[in-house]
Formats: sequence, structure tokens, C-alpha cells
Amino acid sequence: MHEYSVASAIVDQVKAIVEEHKATQVKKIIVSASPYDVIIPELLIEAYGIITDDLDKFKGSTLEMQNSKAEITCLECDYKGEPAEEGDPEFAYNFICPKCESRDTHINMKNLTIETVDLVIPDN
Amino acid sequence: MSPERKVVVKKLAYRVNDELADKIREVMKSKNKLFFNMMGSIGAGKTLILEQLAAKLSSKYRVFVINGDVATTIDADRIAKQGATTVQINTGGGCHLSAKLIQNELDKINIDDYDIFIAENVGNLICPAAWDIGAQLNITVVSITEGEYVVKKHPIIFKNSEIAIINKCDLDGLGFNSDVLAEDAAKIKSGMKVILTSAKTGQGIDELITTLGIEL
Ligand SMILES: Nc1nc2c(ncn2[C@@H]2O[C@H](COP(=O)(O)OP(=O)(O)O)[C@@H](O)[C@H]2O)c(=O)[nH]1
Ligand SMILES: [Mg+2]
Ligand SMILES: [Zn+2]
Repeated sequence: MHEYSVASAIVDQVKAIVEEHKATQVKKIIVSASPYDVIIPELLIEAYGIITDDLDKFKGSTLEMQNSKAEITCLECDYKGEPAEEGDPEFAYNFICPKCESRDTHINMKNLTIETVDLVIPDN
Repeated sequence: MSPERKVVVKKLAYRVNDELADKIREVMKSKNKLFFNMMGSIGAGKTLILEQLAAKLSSKYRVFVINGDVATTIDADRIAKQGATTVQINTGGGCHLSAKLIQNELDKINIDDYDIFIAENVGNLICPAAWDIGAQLNITVVSITEGEYVVKKHPIIFKNSEIAIINKCDLDGLGFNSDVLAEDAAKIKSGMKVILTSAKTGQGIDELITTLGIEL
């Protein structure tokens, strides 16, 4: 249930982007998340709505979620990429390395990425 | 009509938190301070372990404990009685500490006035794993009363920890069992330091202190 803090982190970064481009309005933000990012899209979007409700430049803007691929790092053989499909039969949320079959892998659960922001930028 | 433009950002949502966490780690390291993050479920015994640590360490070290809780100052008050300086962060509804919350507290003190910093994270085995607070070592506490499969069900937080504490071992054999938890914690991450403790009797506390790299 940390969607509220995650949404705040996104809004803070977008605010900086708005400044940087001297934009007057945010239209749409697209973020991507992997299946193991422990983010519930509905909750993130709801939190985004609450946070931006009183921010003029975010009025009417939308937050869209896209899926990105899961990524593990193998601590044994340094493999970095998608995990083997079956997962680890013993541990929930754990993954076996498809290259060396080690269970000593790390699932990256912090892939959440701000991909693009649609802004209204006045010319001059 | 002003033109609309798509700006390609490609930046991690956690970036600001993680950069601040790195900065905290650097500052602590450069000043030769220790900073630990204690995570774990509600009621696992985090606060009682910190009371034991504070009692043993306070005569030699200046210990600063940051307690994260949704509400109240009960935990901070308990640990303060054992000689540590404590501060309570009430996260409101928040289910984890963050680098920003830690930095806010560090800004209010002089870091040089203390030797060891410990954060008691909010009781939760999921969200704190995603929020780096800048600690040098992450500790996850579970207790044997939480059932034999609590490590199996929450491996991620253990993957993000260097030390696993299996607490309430005074109840071992009394309808509860530490074996499976200790085995699972060791299996889930190579190099994991697994420590069996009882924060009630003090079992394992000296081993924990040694594992943290603190001389008594
Ligand atoms: N029997 C026993 N009880 C413990 C132990 N550690 C903590 N407790 C009890 O468990 C409850 C929760 O402990 P607390 O430290 O507040 O847990 P926290 O929520 O993780 O901070 C309290 O009633 C403690 O007295 C232990 O090692 N053995
Ligand atoms: Mg507590
Ligand atoms: Zn591998």
C-alpha cells in the first residue's frame, strides 16, 4: 500500500520537468512497471488523482500505466534479464536463473519508470 | 492554442529517494557512523530488540534511534528508557520510512553527536523493501510465532537484507519452531547472516552486536 508515496515521487519529478520546459499544463503521464513492482495500478491512479487535485498545472491530466518486462539479476552468474517462467517452487516471488539455475537471484522490483510526459508549452 | 509536446523522460520513479539514500550512506560513511535499518512485521519484536541493544550499547556509544510508526510515540519512549536518544516519525498512513523522512530527522540534529543510528521501520514485510533509507545494513526481524512459512511468503524483504533475525526463540519448542525459518532465511540469499534471538531473555543479542560490527 505505498502507492501514495510512489505517486508523490512521480508528481515531484514531473513538477521539475514542467519547470524545466516552462510548460503551462500537464496532459498525460505514461509510466511503466514490471509485474513485480508491487504497484496496484488502480491505487496508483487514484493516489495520483488525490495528489494532483489542487495542482492547477495538473488539472485534467491523466496517468497511464504500461507493462514492462520483469528483470532479475543472478548473483551467481551475473545474468540480467527475464526470469525463467516457472519461478521458484519453494519461495513465493523468487526466481530461478534461466542460465545457471541458481535460486540466488534478485528480482528488480523498482523498475517503475516515468516514460513520457505530454505538456502544453506556449511558443515564444 | 499552445502546442502540445511529448517529453521523453525515461527516469525511475524511485530516483529521488534512492539518490538521497546514497547521499545519506555517503555522509554516514565519511563521518564513520553506523546506520542500520530494522524492518519486520508488526509485533516481531523490533522495539524490544532495540531496547536490548540500547541497554547494552548506551554506556559506550551514543545511540540515536528513529522510530517509524503510523501513530503514537510508544516505541520511542520505550527505547529512550534504555539510554538511547530517540525520535518518533509518525508516517500517518504511510507503510514505510523513506530517505526523505530520515533526512528530515538528521537535519534536526548534529550527526557528530552520535555514533550509531538505527531506524525501526514501519511494521510491514512488503513496502519497506522498496524504499532505500540510506542504511549500511538492512535487518529483517521475524518471530517464530508468525508461523513457519513467513520467510517463504515474503522472500523479497530478506533478499534486501544482510541480516535475518529469528526472534522469540524463548518460545522454541513450546508449540513454535525456529528451524524452518532459519533454514529458509539462509537459503533465500547467499551470505545471509541468520541470528536466533530472544529479545525477552537477551539470547543472541551479543551475537547481533558482533554481526553489526560493533565492539562491546
Ligand atoms: N516471548 C517473547 N516475546 C517477545 C519477544 N520479543 C518481543 N516480544 C513481545 O512481543 C510483543 C511485540 O514486541 P515489539 O517489540 O513491540 O514488536 P514490534 O512491533 O516489532 O516493535 C511485545 O509484547 C513484546 O514483549 C521475545 O523474544 N520473546
Ligand atoms: Mg515497534
Ligand atoms: Zn545465473
